[in-house]
Amino acid sequence: MTPTTDSARRSPLDDRHRARGATMTAFAGWDMPLDYGSVVAEHRAVRSACGVFDLSHLGTLRLTGAGAEATAQRALTNDAAALAQGRAHYTLCLEDGGGIVDDLLLYRLPWGLFAVPNAANAAGVQQALERVAAPGTAIADVKADLACLAVQGPGSPAVLAAAGIDVAGMRYLDVRPLGADGVLARSGYTGERGWELFVPAAEAGALWDRVVAAGATPAGLGARDTLRLEMGYPLHGQDISPATSPVEAGLTWAVKPATDFVGRAAVVRALEEGARRRLRGLRVLGRGIPRAHCEVRDDGAPAGETTSGGFSPTLGIGIALAYLDAGVGLDEGVEIVVRGRSLTARVERPPFVDADPRG
Amino acid sequence: MATPDDLRYTQEHEWARADGPRVTIGITDYAQDQLGDVVYVDLPASGTRVEKGQPFGEVESTKSVSDLYAPLTGTIVERNETLESSPELVNADPYGRGWMVVIEAEQPDEVGGLLSATDYQELTGS
Repeated sequence: MTPTTDSARRSPLDDRHRARGATMTAFAGWDMPLDYGSVVAEHRAVRSACGVFDLSHLGTLRLTGAGAEATAQRALTNDAAALAQGRAHYTLCLEDGGGIVDDLLLYRLPWGLFAVPNAANAAGVQQALERVAAPGTAIADVKADLACLAVQGPGSPAVLAAAGIDVAGMRYLDVRPLGADGVLARSGYTGERGWELFVPAAEAGALWDRVVAAGATPAGLGARDTLRLEMGYPLHGQDISPATSPVEAGLTWAVKPATDFVGRAAVVRALEEGARRRLRGLRVLGRGIPRAHCEVRDDGAPAGETTSGGFSPTLGIGIALAYLDAGVGLDEGVEIVVRGRSLTARVERPPFVDADPRG
Repeated sequence: MATPDDLRYTQEHEWARADGPRVTIGITDYAQDQLGDVVYVDLPASGTRVEKGQPFGEVESTKSVSDLYAPLTGTIVERNETLESSPELVNADPYGRGWMVVIEAEQPDEVGGLLSATDYQELTGS
């Protein structure tokens, strides 16, 4: 845990977190809640009922004007032209050499495109967009004005209805305006049915209070991490980075080579050559919890390294994501070296748990 | 954080409760709060000899792994088997149902040399 520094940015909901006794942590220059007492309890609340996260640290960029779509099409890997009004998609921002600058969601709203990069990469994505901006494009960082609450879990529709937010009829990755300046999207990073609400900072506290009063359990970044790990969702900075390619990370489903995006040539070349290593899931058989940066061995020989690892509250066992040599097949047994001890694990294709955000 | 007056403490955040030569050991309320959700507790089998200040087991939480240090020298005569299936008892009841082992002390007066509740509160600033 990194201690909070005075220069850290604070969420508009900071007073709510402190009043609840949250353990705060420095995250990408922000001071955010890690947990409110129990990561496991918060995780279970999201899987079984409803949790609310403060994600006000996430980047929020508005792309408007006649060139917005062309700009997104050039800077990002998915097909922005195919993104319909009222819909969102997962996309990547690459370096010329194919390394991953960030992964993000792109939403199409009546006024233009809305991009939500990771907090640590918001400036990098903004620069990547500006570098290729088509004439008539305005790119605005609206972070100072917007907070973000994620309401996640099977109970979310009822909680949101009780809080005065109508989500009836919204399918996974649908998006619509919320009030004059906000955004309401059926998206998330938990694997559960859930919504992300981008609202003016001045309104965030009242909305948080309504959602909590309606029964949502406040959940911190600790639970967000265990939830995403159970789904096998990669975390930028750990599982994917400028040093990894979309091909080895298994993210080519979000890459549309028919569009002319930055990094395209490198991705096409990597596709032709095939990946030397692949991002895989590892399920520990028995006790023990792998962490990031543990060596993985196959028949005693080095075969890769974990990039994320932790305890799965749903399964009650250790799970991990790891880059493994392409020769290591699914369902094979491997060893993860944790603190000098070997844990036996099975290679899997995540998700590790039976959850589906479309459900 | 609770720090019962009738227990003795170590700088490594274990507590000890003496009943003659039999000394029950666990981790403190402060320790469980710092660790977060405890998910595995590894304890030595009965009959294992432990030495004062040496690691004798591990507590693993969702956040990290920590060694358990023996507050005194002796032999493990009992361990809390319930923690195998319910490690969360360490969080819920650190001084009660979350106890870890009973050590038969070779020198029972070693317990008196451990920190008092007041000393321990000073150490943790609680």
